[in-house]
Amino acid sequence: MSAEETSNAKSTQGAALATELLSAGYAGRAVVQELSIRVEPGEVVSVVGPNGSGKSTLLKALVGVVQVLSGKVLLDGKEITNWAPDAAARAGIGYVPQIDDVFAPLTVRENLEMGGYLLPLREVPGRMTHVLEVFPQLARMLSRKAGQLSGGERKMLAMGRVLMLQPRAFILDEPTANLAPALANTLLEDHIRQLSATGASVLVVEQRARAVLAISDRTYVLTGGRCRLEGTPAELLASPDFADTFLGGTRHASEPAAE
Amino acid sequence: MSLFIESIGFGLITASVLAIAAVGFTVQFGVTDVLNLAYASVMICSAYVAYLINQLGHGQSIWLAMVVAAAFGAVVSLVLNKYIYAPFQRRGTSPVAVVIVSLGVLLIIEYLVQAFEGAANVSYTMTQGATLNFLGLTLTVVQLAIMGLSVVFMIGLHLLLRYTRFGKAMRATAADRVLARNCGIRTDRVITLACLLTGALCGVAGTVFAINTGSFGATSADLFLVLILAAVFLGGPGQPYGAMLGALVIGVVTEVSASVITADYKYVPAFVILLVVLAVRPRGLFSAGTLN
Repeated sequence: MSAEETSNAKSTQGAALATELLSAGYAGRAVVQELSIRVEPGEVVSVVGPNGSGKSTLLKALVGVVQVLSGKVLLDGKEITNWAPDAAARAGIGYVPQIDDVFAPLTVRENLEMGGYLLPLREVPGRMTHVLEVFPQLARMLSRKAGQLSGGERKMLAMGRVLMLQPRAFILDEPTANLAPALANTLLEDHIRQLSATGASVLVVEQRARAVLAISDRTYVLTGGRCRLEGTPAELLASPDFADTFLGGTRHASEPAAE
Repeated sequence: MSLFIESIGFGLITASVLAIAAVGFTVQFGVTDVLNLAYASVMICSAYVAYLINQLGHGQSIWLAMVVAAAFGAVVSLVLNKYIYAPFQRRGTSPVAVVIVSLGVLLIIEYLVQAFEGAANVSYTMTQGATLNFLGLTLTVVQLAIMGLSVVFMIGLHLLLRYTRFGKAMRATAADRVLARNCGIRTDRVITLACLLTGALCGVAGTVFAINTGSFGATSADLFLVLILAAVFLGGPGQPYGAMLGALVIGVVTEVSASVITADYKYVPAFVILLVVLAVRPRGLFSAGTLN
């Protein structure tokens, strides 16, 4: 990566992330169908929905891990549809997968270094210092292997690894999935909300609908690979349809799909 | 007693050759996900390239020839990965089927070598150098050079993997290729460089193997491939440090067995150890994860 590209990535604080009529899936079968979403710079947007509703597939399509079958992925209006995952990272997307989110055999320090792989070498220590200010717990375990961390520490490392590049758009797949409820709320409120503070756009998929609504500016509700509802947390909480589906009502049957 | 000590000396030489080969094999496996059995045929092919250089004109230094063999091994390993194994992987061929593909490649290369060079064994034109005695061991200068070379390669690889960005990117790619790409790492380039690096080790291993055995033919490394696999799986596949330890154990045990039992059965105790270790630790001695 050239110095010029690096400085561009730095001067631009955030980028709008959008899809237009996006269909994506495996082996030509669409799991996500004609989905149009939008995340503005500085905004936290969440996607909720039952298991198999296509939430993870949507995120994987955005970062080039799952094939886009039709429609577009746009970053600040620039089309990045079906870009390879490394190209998406260079474009400014930081992706934290749900599982396999750290390099387990590498140390915490090495994981952060790999997060900063695209930076000039001399900028890595400075960035790492910054990331360790955001996640001070990690500073005490730099030499420990990532595979030995607890669930919460591991997720912080995964987020710290992504933060190394100061991405313009964060994409987080069920960051609280393996965490105790108290820890999950801390992570959402203290850290994920903070990611948008510098102007980056944040797209987060969650199973914990009520908790993620609390930190979201807007939320999309997915069922069966399509957008069923969309709105601000206040609007969704007032919607009987939403309450029925997610807040105590029976869950709708969903199509089986790879997540 | 002196025979026993001398056999340890032989064991260390065998271990040195085996370590270069096994470390190259295991790193290649870790990064490319191909258990490349054709590695042994690339070793022999490289040894022949060194032989051709060695026989040029009035005879060329075997060490110069080894450098050419390393370059040859690097290029062939890259070509095999890029044009044979990787396309099979992209088509979703199972890892076991790719192993069988590599077995086919092994036979094809060996027969090609035989077709060009004939069935007769060949030997390098070189001198073994003075014989040195210390600590009860009797070693030639060439044997010492092989051991020194092996130590240098092991230390060099250690420094590369632990302290350079490329080395860490190789370990990251071996650990999780998709996550590495999410970090912006161009894993295809990492795989290309890893093939060149491990292929060069393969070329060096072939040349020192041929120096050590004295004379060699197209199929001479077949049994050695089994020793490589033993060292690799003893240490845990994809584990360079495991392969170093595995090579040391297999090499020394083999040669000591030759002196205390009989040379005919010298490989048996090494494989008994392998089976026992795998029974206790199914993923080998080092099982933290690939390339680590």
